[in-house]
Amino acid sequence: MPQQLNRIETVVKPVNTMEVEASRLCIDHLSLQLEGRAILSKLSTTLPATGIIALIGPSGAGKSTLLRCLNRLYEQWQGDITWAGQSIRNRDTDLLRRQIGLIGQKPAVFPCSIRDNVIFGLSRQQRRAIADEEIYKALQQAALWQEVEHRLGEPAEHLSVGQQQRLCLARALILKPDMLMLDEPTSALDPRSRDIIERSMMELGRSMPLLWVSHDLDQARRISNHILFMCDGKLIEQSDTESFFNQPKRIESREFMRWSVCDC
Amino acid sequence: MMFWKALRQYRVKGLLILISLPALVLPTISLVYILWQGLPALNWQTLSGEGVTGFGLEHGMFGQIWGSLLLMLGANVLAAPAALGLALFFNLYANDNTQRTIFTLLHLLQSIPPIVYGLFGLFVFVHLLHLGISLLAGMIILAMIILPLLVLNALHALKAISVEQTESARSLGLNDMQLICRVWAPLAWPTMLTGQLLGMARALSETAPILFTATVFSGVLWPSSIFEPVTTLQTHIFYLAQEGGNAHVVSIAWGAATLLIALVLLFSLTALFLRRIDQHHRIS
Repeated sequence: MPQQLNRIETVVKPVNTMEVEASRLCIDHLSLQLEGRAILSKLSTTLPATGIIALIGPSGAGKSTLLRCLNRLYEQWQGDITWAGQSIRNRDTDLLRRQIGLIGQKPAVFPCSIRDNVIFGLSRQQRRAIADEEIYKALQQAALWQEVEHRLGEPAEHLSVGQQQRLCLARALILKPDMLMLDEPTSALDPRSRDIIERSMMELGRSMPLLWVSHDLDQARRISNHILFMCDGKLIEQSDTESFFNQPKRIESREFMRWSVCDC
Repeated sequence: MMFWKALRQYRVKGLLILISLPALVLPTISLVYILWQGLPALNWQTLSGEGVTGFGLEHGMFGQIWGSLLLMLGANVLAAPAALGLALFFNLYANDNTQRTIFTLLHLLQSIPPIVYGLFGLFVFVHLLHLGISLLAGMIILAMIILPLLVLNALHALKAISVEQTESARSLGLNDMQLICRVWAPLAWPTMLTGQLLGMARALSETAPILFTATVFSGVLWPSSIFEPVTTLQTHIFYLAQEGGNAHVVSIAWGAATLLIALVLLFSLTALFLRRIDQHHRIS
């Protein structure tokens, strides 16, 4: 096994041309009410097949809720969500969640070793048969290998918050997902950890779609290829990152970029 | 001036100390008094009954200790799976209305006086279901009494698990059984065990329900099946205390009370110890 992670030496530039036609995740008139309150209202969009899609908007816009609908942590929505042409309602929930990984805002590691945390989502047979190479690969993709190479047997709780977040990422990546959703994954991290995650995600975004919820407009501009701007449960604007920041079509988008609030 | 200023400054603190003092002093005085009365009465003779004669003293107290422990263990064995099942159902599948109903029901069950449970056990299990005065009838009634405590404790244990951990496990595609076995169980077991020990202490301290359903004064030392009655420390104290005129018998009652307190404290303090270890582990 290679002993060292091949570090990403340069910041990977986002891919600018995205093939929307090849998209595999389509949301059609998605609405959700929780406790009598509309959280999502007739939201429709089609996600690109690769690249980082930044989901931005003010607090309470429904961004995190949307992610939880997409991997069916919330089930009581109306409308339709299709994944590779098939409604996700007709798919096996556990399998769907392995295919569409979700990384939360706060890293949640389980009370076991770093190694066991990485393989936590695998079945018992897979855990027994897993090759060290696979674990290495997942940790390398999450840019954590170098830091945990000699301490895989240590409890995961001993890692720093930034390392735990990357461990969560490795845990999702070992399942070989087709898409990743990240709910403000760097909001609790120091700048160094944030940069490491951003770089590894930009690398990953070359091969799969990453739906990244962010409150940080600079970060969204820096890492994403595509922007979805949400406010009050509605999708206000969707465009490629450059157009969104240079020539926003909607007044709400301009207001949000200027004041970080939305008046819709 | 200084005096009045100091008085104003410390009046709330002083008032609180004054009104909270009985809460600490009275149980301590009771405990010291029981130990003072009971410890001298505890010796090999009174425990084994060797060479002792008198009302209820011939057989010592080993049989009663055994009976109390049997009832306590049986009640916990019966109640634990039901409590765990209900807590898991509550967390996994119950909607808001069902959760509210279960919660109200649990608090209602907890407020029913134990003597009423005893009466219920006497009519339903002893007479209607023909279980007779038996270990089994006592175990079932005690299980019903400690069930709300165990369920509420299990709910508390599950509630202490962070939403992020549950959501992360779900996001990795773990199904309900995997979530329970691989995430909730390792995180919740210390608190659940603490609750179980508190349930044991509670079962040991109940007298009225088993008086009606499980115990006899004498004639049984070591029950050979769950369909036989038992003698217990709790009811032994009750019977001996009725012989108030006989100083020796009353002193043995104090001895039995000391033993019972020692058993209850054993489980309660172990529970407290485990809780502290768990809290320390969570903080670190």
